[in-house]
Amino acid sequence: MRLSELLDSDVTDRNGQRIGHVHDVQLVQDGPPLGTWGAAFRLEGLVVGPGSIGTRLGIARPEVKGPWILKLLFARRRSSRILIPWDRVRDIGDKHISADCVADECQGALERP
Amino acid sequence: MDPPARGRRLYAALHLLDRQILDADSMMAGKVDDLEFESAHDGAAPVVTDILSGVGALGPRLGGRLGRWLTGIHRRLRPEPEPGPARISFGVVKKLDNHVELSLHRSELENNQLEAWTRDNLIAHIPGASDAPE
Repeated sequence: MRLSELLDSDVTDRNGQRIGHVHDVQLVQDGPPLGTWGAAFRLEGLVVGPGSIGTRLGIARPEVKGPWILKLLFARRRSSRILIPWDRVRDIGDKHISADCVADECQGALERP
Repeated sequence: MDPPARGRRLYAALHLLDRQILDADSMMAGKVDDLEFESAHDGAAPVVTDILSGVGALGPRLGGRLGRWLTGIHRRLRPEPEPGPARISFGVVKKLDNHVELSLHRSELENNQLEAWTRDNLIAHIPGASDAPE
């Protein structure tokens, strides 16, 4: 499986309701050892939310500090992004992913970078 | 983002995708165009095993007309009937920063093969190519 197969996929919840699409995937370095690198990066969860220009430009990301006026404009969009843990992913199709949870259950289930 | 620390978290697209790859001599050795995940047989979450680099990875990622065009170029320039993307094992990554540093030299990488093949099969046949400095 490739990262590009996950990015931009539409995500639906347990009830078939559309949550948004995959903006990014969160990795955690706690996998099996890999060569001289050390612990491999494990896929921990999918960053899912409605599409927006702010997300595309990276303005919605917490580590991007400005311009403040754009941060303010896209703050609401960012709050609607959720992190779906990988163990709640039920099925992966062609640019479509179904999750075994509803948005409220998944929200805040994982620590963020 | 260094040194490698167990338990570190990052976003794959934000922190890895499109980053410059540098070899052991700090020479440019391509970009991170995609990542390959492999699932464990025990049902554990997939882990990143390889960095995919070059037009063979970028074409399918971009999709559309441009993606098909890049993939077509990749196929024409490789001797194999169905060439896959160039892979760099994540095990040879030395450091992650605003670039990806490897412990290998560029000549040992699969994505350098396209450059070598182009040099030997195309560039070398251009009149005057043998006079070019190394």
